[in-house]
Amino acid sequence: MVSRSLHHAVLALIVFIWVVPFVALVTTSLRSELASKTSGFWTAFTPTELGHRFSTHDKGALEEGLVFTGNIFDRLNLGEDSFPISGVVESVLFQGRIPDPDNPDKTKLIRKLVPTGEVMDVRGGAFRFDANGDFVWRFDAPTIPRPKNLDVFINQEPIFGTEAYQEVLFENKHVPNALISSFIVTIPATIIPITIAAFAAYAFAWMRFPGRDWLFVIVVSLMVVPTQLAFLPILQGFSGIASWATALNAWMTDCETTSSCAVASKSFASLWVTHTAFGLPLAIYLLRNYIVGLPRELLESARIDGANHLQIFTKLIVPLSVPALASFSIFQFLWVWNDLIVALYIGPNNADDLVFPIRLQQQLGTFKDQLHLLNASAVISMIVPVIVFLAMQRYFIRGLLAGSVKGG
Amino acid sequence: MAQVELKDVNKTFGEVKVIRNVELEINKGEFVVFVGPSGCGKSTLLRLIAGLETLTSGEIVIAGRAVMDLPPSKRGIAMVFQSYALYPHMTVFHNMAFSLNLQGMAKAEIRKRVEAAAKILQMEHLLDRRPAALSGGQRQRVAIGRSIVRNPDVFLFDEPLSNLDAALRHDTRVEIAKLHSQLGATTIYVTHDQVEAMTLADKIVVLKDGEVMQVGAPMELFNHPANEFVAGFLGSPKMNFFDGKLTAISKDKNRAKFAGEGVTTKLVRLVSGDKAKGAKARLGIRPQNLRLDSKGGLRGRVTLVEKLGTETIVELVSDGKVPFRFASPDVPALRVGDHARFSFSAKHAHLF
Repeated sequence: MVSRSLHHAVLALIVFIWVVPFVALVTTSLRSELASKTSGFWTAFTPTELGHRFSTHDKGALEEGLVFTGNIFDRLNLGEDSFPISGVVESVLFQGRIPDPDNPDKTKLIRKLVPTGEVMDVRGGAFRFDANGDFVWRFDAPTIPRPKNLDVFINQEPIFGTEAYQEVLFENKHVPNALISSFIVTIPATIIPITIAAFAAYAFAWMRFPGRDWLFVIVVSLMVVPTQLAFLPILQGFSGIASWATALNAWMTDCETTSSCAVASKSFASLWVTHTAFGLPLAIYLLRNYIVGLPRELLESARIDGANHLQIFTKLIVPLSVPALASFSIFQFLWVWNDLIVALYIGPNNADDLVFPIRLQQQLGTFKDQLHLLNASAVISMIVPVIVFLAMQRYFIRGLLAGSVKGG
Repeated sequence: MAQVELKDVNKTFGEVKVIRNVELEINKGEFVVFVGPSGCGKSTLLRLIAGLETLTSGEIVIAGRAVMDLPPSKRGIAMVFQSYALYPHMTVFHNMAFSLNLQGMAKAEIRKRVEAAAKILQMEHLLDRRPAALSGGQRQRVAIGRSIVRNPDVFLFDEPLSNLDAALRHDTRVEIAKLHSQLGATTIYVTHDQVEAMTLADKIVVLKDGEVMQVGAPMELFNHPANEFVAGFLGSPKMNFFDGKLTAISKDKNRAKFAGEGVTTKLVRLVSGDKAKGAKARLGIRPQNLRLDSKGGLRGRVTLVEKLGTETIVELVSDGKVPFRFASPDVPALRVGDHARFSFSAKHAHLF
């Protein structure tokens, strides 16, 4: 029992540690710029006392009279269409001269916090306000008072809004472009390796050819090659291909007239090739181990029924390997979606084609202290993998167990 | 004319010879059972015929065609596997139609054939189900149906009943026997179960270490085993063996007298015809053929009495410390520790 509750405690701690940054990200992205700048995300869920400055009325808006009324919240939210302030008015800062009790005929400057219901002197009138923001301003003789700026302290209700999302999504095309670019990179970079790997895995599992096991060992051992190590040769290769393609372009078409012959060495295609190459070893390894675990008699039965290798692959192996295929696609999708370094070195570098992680990195510079905007972009970039994961998670769990239990 | 012919078939895995010089002829419509202990090569022999393994040397002829270079699908065979090997993602109908689809047969013709096969096996109501929704016996039937639709020259069964429980095994065995008489198709059936072999077979092939020990009708093998292995393998409980010497041999060398273990016999059937007088030999006698006889030469002390209902099996140890068994439909008045004497009729004894 002790060890079990210890398990639960450790598990809860891990979940907490993993969930807190996510909650922080989402919360901050839903707060106003002011709030996200001045207080931590954890204060966003409870009422907080904050100071604001409001003016009693607009200049020239009043006619001569004895009593004027208004509402502090209406004045504060005037002209603001986002994050309206609401809550309970605590106090107003009084700043002015009152008769000095020590020196008759003289006045002295004081500052003090006036609570609700108490009368204070504003421009010679008696100013009184309630917790809901309503204020009454009485004069002894008819006057037209000048507007007065007052500092009010309000115990504010939590307030959230989607303004940051609207701003990053619609203000300019950076985030939408990054989303599109990321999809352009990720979808082929997932489908291509999984297709190649499925064929290769079947061959490694069920076809007999000389050197099969050695070849498999070599493919698997390629998993240890770090991507960074290969950047230089890969870049050289791509620029070689690009200059060759440029020359071919110049020779085959009349692009010289418009001087549009140059073929970029850093493109979406180079990202597809690179991600495919570095995804293949693990893909082949995972799929081969799954496919080799399918019952031998099933394949033999198909051979007796007259199926050739291609038919066995398409009609038996692929439908039966859906869990493994799905779980690897999730892996590959997440890696490619979150990849920064490969895209940075090998991907296209014109502003419209930047993938999401690079765009986020650039926003780190442009938004500097606009945390709410930065976090809104980050949340948008996270939503896609979360949707992919949730949609395929039943395969994911089955795929991770692939081969460990009979049946399935 | 022989439907299946094996000529000097050999198979080695690396250094290990798993099939040695197998010669066999199977006639059209015959039900042949390969039987033997595990590891004797019976399944390998079946897979060689099916084309799932390649021959090391020799020749296999099916329906007049040498098939060594043909893929399994072109050999005119259909196979039922021990695990049924049904395609789990297809319905029963598509499982049965799979091979016909691959042949490019017309849809209507496929439907006709599958439905005909389903009717024979009384499983028309199962056609839309997936294998996971079927019981063991139903899966077995689908596996058989899948081979029937292909209309093969030879049916191959690889231990098809070993995944079923005892009651179902008996029912399915009867069904397979009926099916065979209904279709009249040549069938090769692999099992390690001698009851299946004895009940189903027209012809039994007993294998040991990749060699054919004896081929023949079930009762012929039972009554006239060609060697000690066949004698010991068929029959339950196992045949008793006693060491001794040949004291006399008939002129045609088919019969001999034996002495040993307190037993002396008249002339009994001598299987090993190359033995001379005075040579060492083993006397084989089935437990059912022993008779309680106070004047009998064979004496033993009872170590265990097993009452099975249909018969009682008594385990004994002879004076020479050789364990043997006595089986009787009656319940003999023997208890552990008792001594008993047995005799037997010479016509039931064999000398090896």
